[in-house]
Amino acid sequence: MTESEATAGGGSPPAVAAVKLAKSFGGVRALNGASFAAAPGEVHALVGENGAGKSTLIKILGGRLRPDAGSMRLKGEAVELHGPGEAHRRGAWTVFQELTLLPWMTVAENLLLGDEPRGALGLIVRRRMSRDADAALARLGIRHIDPDALVEDIPLAARQIVEIVRVVIREPAILLLDEPTSSLGEHEVAWLFDLIRELRAQQTCIVFTSHRWNEIASIADRITIFRNGAEVGTYRAIEEREAITLMTGQRLDTLFPPVPPLAAEVPMLEAQGLAAPGISAIGFTLRRGEILGVGGLTGHGHRELFLTLFGALRAERGTILVGGEALRLRGPRDAIRAGLGIALVPEDRKTEGLLLPMTIRDNLTLAILERISRLGVIEAGAEAERTRRLADALQIKTPSLMQPAGSLSGGNQQKVLIGRWLLAESRILLLYDVTRGVDIATKHEIYELMVRLIGEGRAILFYSSDAEELAHLCHRVLVMREGRIAAELAAPNLSAEAIVAAAVRDSLAA
Amino acid sequence: MARFSRVHLGRDRRRTLYALIAAILLFVVGEFVHPGFAGLDSVEAILTIASFVGLVAAGQTFVVLIGGIDLSVPWVLNGAAILLVILSLGEDGRALYALLLTLGMGAGIGLLNGVGVAFLEVPAVVITLAMNGIMEGLTLGLSGGLTCAACASYAPPVVQRAVHEPIFGVPAELFLWLAVIVIVSFVLGRTRFGRHTYAIGNNARASYLAGVGVRFTTVLLYALSGLFSALAGILLVGFGGQASLGMGTPYLFQSIAAVVIGGVYILGGRGSYLGAAAGAASLTALVSVLLAMNMPDYGRSIIYGVVILVLLLLYGREEGEG
Repeated sequence: MTESEATAGGGSPPAVAAVKLAKSFGGVRALNGASFAAAPGEVHALVGENGAGKSTLIKILGGRLRPDAGSMRLKGEAVELHGPGEAHRRGAWTVFQELTLLPWMTVAENLLLGDEPRGALGLIVRRRMSRDADAALARLGIRHIDPDALVEDIPLAARQIVEIVRVVIREPAILLLDEPTSSLGEHEVAWLFDLIRELRAQQTCIVFTSHRWNEIASIADRITIFRNGAEVGTYRAIEEREAITLMTGQRLDTLFPPVPPLAAEVPMLEAQGLAAPGISAIGFTLRRGEILGVGGLTGHGHRELFLTLFGALRAERGTILVGGEALRLRGPRDAIRAGLGIALVPEDRKTEGLLLPMTIRDNLTLAILERISRLGVIEAGAEAERTRRLADALQIKTPSLMQPAGSLSGGNQQKVLIGRWLLAESRILLLYDVTRGVDIATKHEIYELMVRLIGEGRAILFYSSDAEELAHLCHRVLVMREGRIAAELAAPNLSAEAIVAAAVRDSLAA
Repeated sequence: MARFSRVHLGRDRRRTLYALIAAILLFVVGEFVHPGFAGLDSVEAILTIASFVGLVAAGQTFVVLIGGIDLSVPWVLNGAAILLVILSLGEDGRALYALLLTLGMGAGIGLLNGVGVAFLEVPAVVITLAMNGIMEGLTLGLSGGLTCAACASYAPPVVQRAVHEPIFGVPAELFLWLAVIVIVSFVLGRTRFGRHTYAIGNNARASYLAGVGVRFTTVLLYALSGLFSALAGILLVGFGGQASLGMGTPYLFQSIAAVVIGGVYILGGRGSYLGAAAGAASLTALVSVLLAMNMPDYGRSIIYGVVILVLLLLYGREEGEG
């Protein structure tokens, strides 16, 4: 069923084609030789797990990012884009997932930004602007958005619609949509799909990404599946089950060390009815020797859950218990004293974990300075001794602990982050996407470390954007959706497919 | 990788060295322009003047290390100077009480700055500038524009001696500065507080998530800055004998300049007080050389500005490489 690129769209030259595009951020490969092509009058869906490279690909095609390698063609012509303006001149316009509207300007001003109607002396004619905007909205069948309203005053779904309208009125030949439906309700999605069908009839090429399978199936002419920064294949029709298998992929079983079963039911961390901005009604028990996974699509409250458990976000309701005792967390410091430790690798890489210019030693001991200082003066001997022993135990690869943490490889940086909490004698580790962007060999080391840590009587709460990893390493997995726990999976029902299916299927119902 | 690291680790010390070399070069140049410039008496005099900049720069170093700034220096310093003479009336018997209250005032104003930055989340530039204005108003108002009877008092003799009294032929003020250099360097380099300061300057969010008391540390750092401004004000009255209006004004620009010349990264996280102290010395040497060359005021201002700009450009480039 896979087609070669040459025959894309059946004969006519592709409107947009990517050939072996590659892009890295720091050490992380977002795209690794990704190719696909879409024809004029075609609706083409890009699907894959979080981090498969879809958004990066859209950004490159829209001129927002420059590829490290590979080439692309727009309307059959090889191009090198130096910015979005150049993409626009070639007819390629993008609607982004993160909103790019100016919140303190009106809907009309946003719609016509850069194309304002001008009168004598080249001054903007405000009255005409509002009229033009109104006409544009009406032409596309939108009546409920006031062109004179400030963008910050209209609801999120309306903003997304303005974002789409702003691009569509520029009459793009190639329309790139990154998760256009993620903030839209049922009616708005129906409106968008009508619009897409209309544009398709006018020979516009539409490329979009989505996590909602029924949308993909209902509107896409063809589907390209991505995994790990490259395409798996392009399909005219494919079953959801098969697509999920392709998205998650099959990997070496030896990558994952065997995880010992739970010895006894000793609860270490419990959450009861926990609510905070972004999460609600969270309840679970993490037991000694357990790796409890947390999965689901990005932006569904995992981050908020971890920060709340660590005291970095204030809980609005509910209880957190460590060893059966309710905690009152006023900040991370309280959590650390209670034996919690968080290793956080956030979206915008490494900004919340390590102090990259400071030494490895400084990074390791930051949370335990109180314990190794007397009258506020750090005892250098004790500090050197403790960090050296830990570095040996974790096999942190560096000529010296006085090197800046930024000189370490991604995997070794992760070990330093985890090591900080081992020095702090944290018994409960909250690991947030710690394997993201590290190579396979280091992943394996981190997995082995995790297994060793639970063997020593610790417990791990483990969020990962990689469903396969969760399926192989965790005793149980909580799948989150919209800030709640939507499903709890345990053997024999625990598999990467089940995790992705639970997350995707749940978002279908939304 | 090894090469990268060596460059990186050495950078702070290298900049301190640059600042020291610059100071020495300037003395050599001065000797050519004006024989006797590099003589012992002249060097002592220049370093004494540098020490006041250096003391203010100590406070400035603390806040710049966390990416902050203290613009309230001029009138905290001036207010402290005037407060000291009013409270002490030039009598040794009242000196201790006057000193404690004056230092307390400086630390208190700094503390308010810190609370504004850490808890109210007002940008440091805004709150410290506002505080400078408030202090100016308070100082002028309460001293009646320095017309009050007590305003004409001299600094208590003990304070004057703390500046001028020669110890082994060197003014006591220089020993005071040396002590401050040793203590501040120790605090920044060896204590938990110092480590937290660098950590916050590098990444406040990551520090918070490692359990560092970011707000507490921030408040303390601004309080220290106020304390050092007040200390400089006190010693300046001791140096000159009397307080005057506007005596704090030059110290804002000079303290920031010294910190930058000494290689403290203006966005925080890197640098040392030894560097800032060397910066204060080289800056004062530069001014003295320009004076010796009969450079008028406006010319000195321009050269000041150019030196700062060039250094920031150079250091900025280095950051890029690092």
